[in-house]
Amino acid sequence: MNTLTPRGKAVRALVTVLGAAVLLAGTLWGRDDHFPFGPFRMYAMASGPDQPAPDTRLEGVDTTGAVVVLTERNSGIRRAELEGQQSRYAAEPARLAEVARAYADRNPGAPGLVEVRIVIRWYAIRDSRPTGHYRDETVVRWRAP
Amino acid sequence: MASSMNGGRGRISGWLFEPVPLARVAAFRTLIYLFTAADLVIFTPWVRSHANVPGALYQPLFIGRVLPLPTPTPALVHTIFWALLALALAAATGRAPRALGWTVFLLYFEWMIIAMSYGKVDHDRFGLLVALAALPTVGRARHGDRTLSEAGGWALRVTQIAVICTYFLAAWAKLRFGGVGWVTSSVLARAIIRRGTDFADLIAHVPGLLIAAQLGIVAFELLSPLIFVLRGRWRYAAIGYFYSFHLFTIATITISFAPHLAAMTSFLPLERLRPIAWLRSGSLRFAAAAPGAQGRRDEVVGAPGAKAAP
Repeated sequence: MNTLTPRGKAVRALVTVLGAAVLLAGTLWGRDDHFPFGPFRMYAMASGPDQPAPDTRLEGVDTTGAVVVLTERNSGIRRAELEGQQSRYAAEPARLAEVARAYADRNPGAPGLVEVRIVIRWYAIRDSRPTGHYRDETVVRWRAP
Repeated sequence: MASSMNGGRGRISGWLFEPVPLARVAAFRTLIYLFTAADLVIFTPWVRSHANVPGALYQPLFIGRVLPLPTPTPALVHTIFWALLALALAAATGRAPRALGWTVFLLYFEWMIIAMSYGKVDHDRFGLLVALAALPTVGRARHGDRTLSEAGGWALRVTQIAVICTYFLAAWAKLRFGGVGWVTSSVLARAIIRRGTDFADLIAHVPGLLIAAQLGIVAFELLSPLIFVLRGRWRYAAIGYFYSFHLFTIATITISFAPHLAAMTSFLPLERLRPIAWLRSGSLRFAAAAPGAQGRRDEVVGAPGAKAAP
């Protein structure tokens, strides 16, 4: 059997205890910012049993007037990333020009975007079950000057 | 009193360093590095698309600000991608386990920082990161080697702990962010609306089912550490249940947690999987059975130490 030296064990035990302590502190007081030691908060938020559910999307209007749904594939931006930075876009709608730029970079042959907007589709929920009804709300809009 | 403390410490140490066959480490290592390569191209391909996202949308994590890591550029992202792909595949062979292992860990960690620095952090890969950090500490491990190793035991144990922490501390996070009301909230209905499959839409309308599922999730997460007191087939049954839970989340809300699933194989006797040995013996058997291969068959059967093909 390959055994560890007492020193080898002590170092590993110390690393284990330190790692566990940092992870525990991250869970109790940390934020996502402290990745990889932040709290495992996937789906940890509680929304009320009748509270509508937001389904956020990014839309653009190109020079031909067509509406283009901007996805991870054609813009490089994930929906969750858009939601994570939503307050920054709301504070400064001109940041959406960066999205238009990212789209142009990834789709060099496509007509450019003259408008980009963040739209939330609010789905109605009752008794913690979806009702099938929804309404759209444009929360941030940028138009090319 | 002192002796009972020493006894307790000895038991914990025995548990933390419980030796495993080096063959298990070798198999786990190959699997983890192959997964890392697959993660780049199959499971998390969107990280690469951050190459073309303007630097203004980069929102560095705490660690990215402290070190400080550079704002990703197309050159940086593509260089890391190709280097990581090549080195992970090289590491999967088991060669240069420390040099390749540490390099892959550092590159993958930076890759994850690039992934999570645009407004969304995923929580599906703590176990994988721990596995990548622990594997290089074991050193050489050959496939099929039955020698027991304490270093290997520690590497697998800390990966297991990380996997179970992902469940147990997720329950804790639900209590912190959602409160006890999480259990009766509309969190699953919301997840189904956003990413649900047709199957999920079907079950979402059954009264009380989503609330019962939420209760079940919290109970499962809180009880998950009991895996460490289970033995033998009970433990494997519990791991099977964990995997089936994820199969269900894939089937309903299309969340795979693939890196976590790869790390969870640290609970399994992976040394029993010998695909290359099986392929070799299979091809020998095939060659032996082929018409006109009599001479070769004799050669194989007659080779020193070789077992006769059944």
